[in-house]
Amino acid sequence: MKHVSTVNVDRPRETIGERIYVVPILEGLAVTLRHFLRNLFGQRDVATIQYPEVKREYSERLRGRHILTTRDDGQLRCVACYMCETACPADCIHIVAEEDPEATVEWEKRPKVFEIDLLRCVFCGYCVDACPKEAIIMSREHEMAFATREEAVVGIGQLRQRGPIEDEDIGYRPYF
Amino acid sequence: MRQPDGTSTLLTTRVDAMLGWVRKNSLWPLPFGTACCAIEFMSVVSSHYDLSRFGAEVVRFSPRQSDLMIVAGTITDKMAPVVKRIYEQMAEPKYVISMGACACTGGFYRAYHVVQGVDEFVPVDVYVPGCPPTPEALMHGIIKLQEMIQNGETHNDRLKSARTDRAATSG
Amino acid sequence: MTVSSPHAPTEQLPLAELLPDGAVASFDRSKDGHTVVIVDRSHLLEVLRRFKDDPRLGCDLLADLCAVDYPDRESRFEVVYHLASLENGHRFRIRVPVEESDPVVPSAYGVWKAADWFEREAYDLMGIKFDGHPNLKRILTHEAFQGHPLRKDYDPGQRWLLTEAETMVPAWATETGKLDDHLESQVLNIGPSHPATHGTLRTVARLDGELIVKAECEIGYLHRCFEKMSETHGWNEVISYTDRLNYCSSHINGAGFALAVEKMLGIEAPPRAQAVHVILSELSRVMDHAVCLGAMLVDVGALTNFWYFFQPREEIYGLLESCAGGRLTVSYARIGGLAHDVPADFVERVRFLLGYIPKFIDDVEALITSNKIFRDRTEGVGMISAEEAVGWGWTGPCLRASGVAYDVRKEFPYHGYDQYDFDVPVATGGDTYARYLVRIEEMRQSLRIVRQALDNLPDGPVITDNHYVALPPKDKVFTEMESMIWHFKLIYDGIKVPPGDAYSAVEGGNGELGYYLVSDGGGKPYRVKVRPPCFAIYQAFPHMLEGHLVSDAIAIQSSLNIIAGELDR
Repeated sequence: MKHVSTVNVDRPRETIGERIYVVPILEGLAVTLRHFLRNLFGQRDVATIQYPEVKREYSERLRGRHILTTRDDGQLRCVACYMCETACPADCIHIVAEEDPEATVEWEKRPKVFEIDLLRCVFCGYCVDACPKEAIIMSREHEMAFATREEAVVGIGQLRQRGPIEDEDIGYRPYF
Repeated sequence: MRQPDGTSTLLTTRVDAMLGWVRKNSLWPLPFGTACCAIEFMSVVSSHYDLSRFGAEVVRFSPRQSDLMIVAGTITDKMAPVVKRIYEQMAEPKYVISMGACACTGGFYRAYHVVQGVDEFVPVDVYVPGCPPTPEALMHGIIKLQEMIQNGETHNDRLKSARTDRAATSG
Repeated sequence: MTVSSPHAPTEQLPLAELLPDGAVASFDRSKDGHTVVIVDRSHLLEVLRRFKDDPRLGCDLLADLCAVDYPDRESRFEVVYHLASLENGHRFRIRVPVEESDPVVPSAYGVWKAADWFEREAYDLMGIKFDGHPNLKRILTHEAFQGHPLRKDYDPGQRWLLTEAETMVPAWATETGKLDDHLESQVLNIGPSHPATHGTLRTVARLDGELIVKAECEIGYLHRCFEKMSETHGWNEVISYTDRLNYCSSHINGAGFALAVEKMLGIEAPPRAQAVHVILSELSRVMDHAVCLGAMLVDVGALTNFWYFFQPREEIYGLLESCAGGRLTVSYARIGGLAHDVPADFVERVRFLLGYIPKFIDDVEALITSNKIFRDRTEGVGMISAEEAVGWGWTGPCLRASGVAYDVRKEFPYHGYDQYDFDVPVATGGDTYARYLVRIEEMRQSLRIVRQALDNLPDGPVITDNHYVALPPKDKVFTEMESMIWHFKLIYDGIKVPPGDAYSAVEGGNGELGYYLVSDGGGKPYRVKVRPPCFAIYQAFPHMLEGHLVSDAIAIQSSLNIIAGELDR
């Protein structure tokens, strides 16, 4: 093959100090003692996050549980176009569309049923990328544990935005 | 824990509570890690999240020495008899946490070699979603299991009370 | 788009003279830098031997061997061989049409040992029989599986259940072996549920005391049907599946797949996207080596280093999560570039990492590298020579530890790797200790690359503006009709990749990670074949084990860094 700049990492045979075990053991103990004393006396260096009293701050792009956003009048923005269902690799979104009784030019359909099986979902964010209406975004809520499979299938009532959008713990969005 | 005739006295409820407290704070996990969730489990036992704060430091890979099986990762049809055998070798009381989308439901692998959820052959107490779940999500799941153990709501407790019921009605 | 290779172009080779008469049906220069040769199966072995032995061709590495199903063609199957010459830099693709009525092809095991497991996989998943293969059995699916799943007429969801009674025990393991001194040898089953097997690997070994006399490996315990799933999902959705291949360094898999599709489309990602790919790939490589070495050191008894290595991993996870939204399975790459631009504090965070990570590598080196206990445990254990390693199809740090300086980033640069100045670490021992040393040095070289890429990070878009390929920016989709239409067509119909095939390789954590893609012009891939680096490495493992102790077997296996997600797909 062509000349490639290499670095040879072979080590020579052991020195006397290495062969009698003592020198490397002392060097190793120095490393571990340094870590030990630093953790014992300098509490700020300890890496452990004391969950659940202290929770780590995740970035604003974390892909967590989904939120169905609402318009100013409280109606869902979703127009049941099925793009998120098509884009989802896990087929975990199930939508049934119905006609919107307050139909205007922009909003003709709305979802009668919008269910996400949170145990199938792989939290890839493709549904958020696919939505043309910014109707589905993801929050930073990632602590979910269920006792049965049925309670993990969440519908519109559990997914919809609960208050003003500024109060929600927003994570992954269509654009930043 | 109940008397053979089905009632529980003050002493047995106190013992129940104490046993629950003891068991929940000394879980010995068996990380049945097959795939990516196993790497997140390694993060949970590492210094940043440190599962040993919950008494679960002793990670044993032998089913004879553990009581919590965390199924972390996809289970395939080839691996399924192995999981079943490992589960049967554990001594009671035993609990199962299914970690990650693949172990809970098969995830996005609707395929010819993937078990669509480990609860096809093993009873699961807590399902933790995510792909993979963040370490906090897994710890949240373990805390939820601890509450279930304290309140006697796990699969193991239901099995035991079913046995006591049968003993009470037949005996 | 032709890939410029730094070697003498293959056009100058007089191929028509070099190969036997009447053997070659047609050949052409493909857009991925491979010369394609179509061969009739009756001449196949002779052609393959010429490719290996003739010094002008000198193809010593069998990179990949797979089968593709074309039910509409006259010859239903096609067996595809990808050959590479490490000396001359030539790459060839050999295609052999095979009839459905007689799906037999001569085995290439006599020419390259690397064909061993690749042929077993083609038999298992596609049903092609290889004449002369020493052990043609199913490898990825289980014993009770019926049918050949990658054929186009196989329903992706059709499962076969395996009961306990049918789990495989090799025939030689059930017979009681008598040794010379009238003692019996014992058969030990290591795995698949074992603390030191790094996932779901199984080795059945016949022991004479503690010495391993014969071994056989069984894999497929994590066969998640990646290749079938990619045939049923769109091109961009496959990227979320590629994350789960080598899950310790998931960005590299996605970047490699996007690169392969971009080659077929004839586009390139913008320079900023390429630089970010380099930075995140190298940091992923550091993560991969950290977990490999951490787990290896735990297996030989040094637990402290595991904790030390996981601290920088957590910091890198924090960076990946701030860019993409996910810690381990990032799904950040898209065909044509990246999903979004990096966050505003990206440069400071990477600079912090460049100062933070070397301290932990230094700590581990101080504990381990000159430690006599570790050296005694790993020196001379699991030695493999350079010719043998290349014959088995090894690439990556394991091959570099045997003395062959083959690195895909240097030989066939992509994503602008030729602009960065870095060295390729090489050792000559070929044993476990050498593999450890090579990985430690590779981590340092990766940080060197990241520093250079960060200093020269260009501005600009992070995804191509070709809207046949990439989704338009969301602010336009919400407001303009034309962008909305592009968006709809891309989500519903997918990216229309022109018909054809291409092979593209990147340097993964374990070696050459190749993708062979076939497209029929639709929005979903027709065939995706992943060339997993650790598949080729692990097939040599049972042969390396003979004559070693059981504890050496554990040390060797963990030094090879076998990731089951990549091995079994």
